[in-house]
Amino acid sequence: MPILSVRGLSIEYRTRRGPIHAVRDVSFDLEQGETLAIIGESGSGKTTLAVGLVRLSPRSARITGGQIVYDSGRERVAVLELDSEELRRFRWAECAMVFQAALSAFNPVITIWEHFFDTGRAHGMHDRHRVHDRARELLHLVHLDPDRILSAYAHELSGGMRQRVLIAMALLLDPRIVILDEPTTALDILTQRAIIDLLRELRRKLHFATIFISHDLSMAAELADRMLTMYAGRIVERAGVDDLFYRPRHPYSIGLLRAVPRVSGALGSVASIPGSPPDLIRLPRGCTYYPRCPFHVDDCRESDPPLLPVDTPGHEAACIRWEAVAARIGSAAKPVAEKLA
Amino acid sequence: MATMTPADATLQVHTFRRSPLSRARGHVGALWRRPLTQAIAKAVLTIYVTSTITFFLIRLMPGSPVELKIDELMQNGQMSYADAAAAASGLFDIDLNAPVGQQYLEYLANLARADLGNSFLSQGTSVTSIVLAVLPWTLFAVGTGLLLSFVCGIGLGLVAAYRRNSPLDHVVSTAGSVISSVPAYLIALLILLIFGIQLRWLPITQMRGAFSPGMTPGFSPAFLGDLFFHAALPISVFFLTHIGLWILSMRSATLAALEEDHVTVARARGLSDGRITTAYVGRNAVLPLVSQFAIAAGAVVGGAVIIEQIFVYQGVGLRLVKAVDQRDYPVMQGIILMTTVAVIVANLVADLLYSRLDPRIGRAGGASGT
Amino acid sequence: MTTIAAPARRELALPGPVSAVIEFLRVLSRKPVGLAGLFGVVFFLALAYLAPLVVPLQDRVDVTAIYSAPSFGHPLGTDYQGRDVLNQIVYGGQDIITTAILAALFSTLIAITFGAIAATLGGRADVLILAITDVALTIPQLVLLIVIAAIFRPTSFISLAIILALLQWPALLRQIRAQVLSLKERDFVEAARSLDLGLLHIVFREMLPNMRSYIAINFIIAMTYAIYAQAAIMFLGLVPLSGKSWAIMLYFAYNQGALFFKDSFFYLMGPIMAIALFQLSLVWLASGLEDVFNPRLRS
Repeated sequence: MPILSVRGLSIEYRTRRGPIHAVRDVSFDLEQGETLAIIGESGSGKTTLAVGLVRLSPRSARITGGQIVYDSGRERVAVLELDSEELRRFRWAECAMVFQAALSAFNPVITIWEHFFDTGRAHGMHDRHRVHDRARELLHLVHLDPDRILSAYAHELSGGMRQRVLIAMALLLDPRIVILDEPTTALDILTQRAIIDLLRELRRKLHFATIFISHDLSMAAELADRMLTMYAGRIVERAGVDDLFYRPRHPYSIGLLRAVPRVSGALGSVASIPGSPPDLIRLPRGCTYYPRCPFHVDDCRESDPPLLPVDTPGHEAACIRWEAVAARIGSAAKPVAEKLA
Repeated sequence: MATMTPADATLQVHTFRRSPLSRARGHVGALWRRPLTQAIAKAVLTIYVTSTITFFLIRLMPGSPVELKIDELMQNGQMSYADAAAAASGLFDIDLNAPVGQQYLEYLANLARADLGNSFLSQGTSVTSIVLAVLPWTLFAVGTGLLLSFVCGIGLGLVAAYRRNSPLDHVVSTAGSVISSVPAYLIALLILLIFGIQLRWLPITQMRGAFSPGMTPGFSPAFLGDLFFHAALPISVFFLTHIGLWILSMRSATLAALEEDHVTVARARGLSDGRITTAYVGRNAVLPLVSQFAIAAGAVVGGAVIIEQIFVYQGVGLRLVKAVDQRDYPVMQGIILMTTVAVIVANLVADLLYSRLDPRIGRAGGASGT
Repeated sequence: MTTIAAPARRELALPGPVSAVIEFLRVLSRKPVGLAGLFGVVFFLALAYLAPLVVPLQDRVDVTAIYSAPSFGHPLGTDYQGRDVLNQIVYGGQDIITTAILAALFSTLIAITFGAIAATLGGRADVLILAITDVALTIPQLVLLIVIAAIFRPTSFISLAIILALLQWPALLRQIRAQVLSLKERDFVEAARSLDLGLLHIVFREMLPNMRSYIAINFIIAMTYAIYAQAAIMFLGLVPLSGKSWAIMLYFAYNQGALFFKDSFFYLMGPIMAIALFQLSLVWLASGLEDVFNPRLRS
């Protein structure tokens, strides 16, 4: 029984030139304790999707269709139909978000402790001591010193410390789902390593389900159970992490994998994807990846392909040519770049 | 040469001592670098320059107080010129015929002892006492008006920003912009004209003056009521003059604060709208406005002159005009100095307030470790 | 030299300056406030400078018509000497506006010159100029103005304008200095310096054109302060009153008891409205210009 079930979610932004279709007909399930990675380049709609899951889209955005069903263990909740008070209680207690560790994620004029206390108070924890104890416990969990951190202001902390604080705060109410938006992007390599290890450790201890949004494929490889690839607002491939890395069936996924340089690869095995993403206001009739796709045929321009099951179980790709892709890539457990080199 | 061990190094450091003089200089240097010291030094310098400028400027005015007094005595007392001159010269305890340089040095010496001298015209009355007699009224009217305008302006600005582009927002913003463009004295005249004369809502003749004749100052309710009655019009004018600024500033500051990422994060954390408005949006938006307020408070004391003239409100401004008419040098100097000091103090307070309210300033920033 | 491209939609080929003006108006009309301000300013300038050419001056004292109510012959009533109020309003703009323009001009010149000098020369010159500016900024302006006006008792436009200018340059100077300081680091100044083009050339030919919009807006704001200050000192009776101006009307109206007669309402209200509306127009125009010159707000 999935704890989160998204069906046909579509989100668009209103602009003067016309609506930007940032998220188009997205469907996926999240199982209990599972880690789902949503991968895509900038502008693919992944952040819009993440923010939309808790209905935090900016004023210019509108959810134009779909449903989000959350299973809290006691009942099933239609997230899009919650009123503002129910939504407020849903947020953070059931589903928390960890934003990028930018300084701007924090209120500059209050201490870290007040951030924790505000969050606790908003969800019925009015007892200072209880919140304090819980905060200390969580800060220990993320390997920070509570005495130093709680009385500090956000600008006094380094990027890595801030990311840990955001993670600790996200776990304050023991949510079943944690969404992480680019959790390591603003950090240096060593800190990234530390955060990834921390996330793995926390997952093991606390068993929450995770959705994380990133363009960093290596992070997905380390942490994810399943992956979604997004392109131009749609999911183009859904697979387990091994399947995606060794047996991708959508040309875009292949393009992404080839764009990552490998330590052991031959020089020249890296290739970027030629062309650029489509204009999300005036979308073409057929497959949006057509102009950049090495596998395209004329039929691809007819209509935008739905997600089709491919040769491995639990694996779908939005490509009518997936068999050709499969023939080229094969199914061996070797990195794609090697196979194509 | 034998290699140095860490123990040797410690020994080296330990034997190095600075001379007392160099240590003292170090302390002074550290003290000088503190911003408070610099601000105070700058303030003292400004006061010195201001008093010098006013001293010489005033003495450039045509018509000396002695001559004016002689004219007055001749007209009222029907004295001859010789008699009047004799009487007049006896009245002033400062020798106005002494060289200006000498007068200047005497003036500075007195200033250093916080002695502003005595008024030319009311013998024996110190300038300090004259100023202190009128200053509270001005401060009361100005302070109340400014404070009220700040509180109301902040509130309206916040609401206007939250309901951006609604009819309420348009009305409030336009009204604020229009009111802030009209000079204060015009507002005062308009109030008098429209509400006092044309509509006859306000008993303006009775409202003149700082308090009704026969009332003794004190903290009795009767007096306080009377006080507010008389100060109501000046307070209203100060209120209206400044509210536009607060409304527009707060509105734009709030709009900027609402765009901040941490507000989105706060919503994601499930915080209530009320908490977000006060601690996340409000506090960040109001920050720059607080120092603006302090600066405005300093500046408005000087601008109260005309308002007091119109409403015949016996405050500092009115007293200054009278002193100018009478060529009462010490009182003029004293008032100008006082108002300048008010501005300086207000600016200092503004800086102090800002650095206290914003934790990002003045703290040992920076972090270490991951 | 900024070139303004002719709007692409037009088929007619309009001469350069005309299309520039049209483009300017088009951008200004985005914000109705700016457009209203422009119309207001143009209206009052026409009233002050053009109307007197057409309307004859009515200066006769008529004691039988003191403070008479508005009528067909006197649309705004008469003053304490029986003279027509509307006529005075028509003739009253010239003095006050001319003085304001002169004052704004002088203060802008001082501010640009010394601000640029302070920023480009740096070092001791900068510290000195800044110190003087700071002190000048601290002394309450109105108070100082009262004293200076009482000392010098200006009787001509020019002397009054100079006095007003002396009080306004500090604020603008700081801003010009800040602007020049930031422009100094920009590439085109580096280029000019490497071509050894000389200080004056750099300041006046390279930097100032970039601050044109800034200076224009500040000029307008300086005008509003000049009008405010003029009306203030004239109202207090500190300036020998000659000529006609709205400020002088205000003084006489107030001191001749126009406040207390029902029929003399417009004698007081007229100059108040004239000054207030002109100020408002200037402020709105400045606000509109801010948007025009902000390239991010253009399409």
